[in-house]
Amino acid sequence: MIQMFHVSKTYPKDVVALSDITLHIQKGEFVFLCGPSGAGKTTLLRLIFRDELPTDGQILVNGRNVVRLRESKLPALRRSIGVIFQDFKLLMDRTVYDNLHLVTRVLGIPETISRRKIGRLLKEVGLLQKADQIPYSLSGGEQQRVAIARALVSDPAILLADEPTGNLDPDLALDVMRLLAEVNIRGTTVVVATHNPKLVAEMGHHTLILKQGRLVEEIP
Amino acid sequence: MLWERFRHLLGETFLNFRRGGWGVIASIGAIAIAFLVTGIFLLLTLNLSTVVARWAEDFQVVVFLDDTITKKQRTLVQKRLDGEMAVRDVTYLSKKEALADFRRKIRGQESLLEGLKTNPLPASFQLRIREQYQTADVLGHLAASLKRMEGIEDVLYGQEWVERLTSLIEVMKILGIVIGGVLGVASLFIVANTIRMAVYARAQEIEIMRLVGATRAYIQIPLILEGTLQGGLGAALALGLLYALFRGTLWQLGTTASMIFAGTELTQFLEAEYRMAMVGLGALLGGVGSLVAVRRFLKV
Repeated sequence: MIQMFHVSKTYPKDVVALSDITLHIQKGEFVFLCGPSGAGKTTLLRLIFRDELPTDGQILVNGRNVVRLRESKLPALRRSIGVIFQDFKLLMDRTVYDNLHLVTRVLGIPETISRRKIGRLLKEVGLLQKADQIPYSLSGGEQQRVAIARALVSDPAILLADEPTGNLDPDLALDVMRLLAEVNIRGTTVVVATHNPKLVAEMGHHTLILKQGRLVEEIP
Repeated sequence: MLWERFRHLLGETFLNFRRGGWGVIASIGAIAIAFLVTGIFLLLTLNLSTVVARWAEDFQVVVFLDDTITKKQRTLVQKRLDGEMAVRDVTYLSKKEALADFRRKIRGQESLLEGLKTNPLPASFQLRIREQYQTADVLGHLAASLKRMEGIEDVLYGQEWVERLTSLIEVMKILGIVIGGVLGVASLFIVANTIRMAVYARAQEIEIMRLVGATRAYIQIPLILEGTLQGGLGAALALGLLYALFRGTLWQLGTTASMIFAGTELTQFLEAEYRMAMVGLGALLGGVGSLVAVRRFLKV
């Protein structure tokens, strides 16, 4: 599903974020991307949905060469990937519903279907009662779940989660992980970046460990 | 699907509009001022052109004949005039007819003529000039050569006035284009800036749309439409103001205007084509302004 071949990413002023990464993530897998802050986890995720281009190497996502993807094909790639951002990227002045609705509008989903779909997703993450609230009035955990629901609106083949448990207490973190596991069971390939080794140990999935931009260990 | 798209476009456009606040008002105002000033020049130029055209059309060269002219000489003159390329038609006005004409013109004060023992008015040929020959140059030559003929006392023509007004119109046209152009470019930048602000204000939303797979057009078109709408509205507002100004001026001038421009109507507002062209141009200006902003400030 996701393949990288000798991928490197260097930011201006010779800041090396990733160097010579080669990896293979199978379709339907649940993969942890592990490592301390600054190891390059976020950069690696951003390369997958082409928010960034690598300095070197090739990336295949769902059979598409992301590096050589034409501008016009970019929306299709992004629609096949759901992303849960570390900072959530929720619109704080819109309701929870509107935050999800933004995506269905971009996807051109008809209003009646969109309403049903958003309702179902909010129910799944346990926020149906809070659909009309603005994210600002929600707790961190609730905001996290809005971000998850939004990432799932497009029924993505791949779900990327950047530190989805970053600032949650352990109980909530486990809830979120269970939610992601459920998504995975339904066939979505899930990649979770985290610096929380305990979580990784508890779940016991395919794990890639990054350190200073290098892939130092792989636990199958 | 298509309907959803369309609704999205309109919805986004109006939403931007509402959120834009003062920036939107400034944009519309700037375009309105640019078009109002240009419109004033356009209106003046058009009306003055009509007046001058009518004067030019009515304008006749008058060939005054000597009282001592013989019949033969008169026939000669008539033949000469008939053969003249520049002359469209020739009317002979005898001394008697000239007096009667004059009497008609001063109706109510005919007593002025009572002391006259002889008719002081000369006979004349009234010439209508073909349009393409209505220049001071041609008429000057014609007058000079006619004056050399026997039996002709004088030749009058007022082409100089027409020429002077025509060059005034030319100057106004150029001035209008220059001022309109400068203001147009200025308002283009103001629209571009408003759209830039809209892009910044919605930076986060635009980024999210981009990341969830919105196409470039999906993000850009509402912004461009917004600029187009601002431009069109600005030009429409200018038209409204111009009309109010036009009516107000006519009312102020009252009957004076109709006396100055005797026989012509200075009640002509811009015709429908001009009005549509103005609104269209405003929309185009706004559209180009926002296109510039979107291209420069929107990274998709």
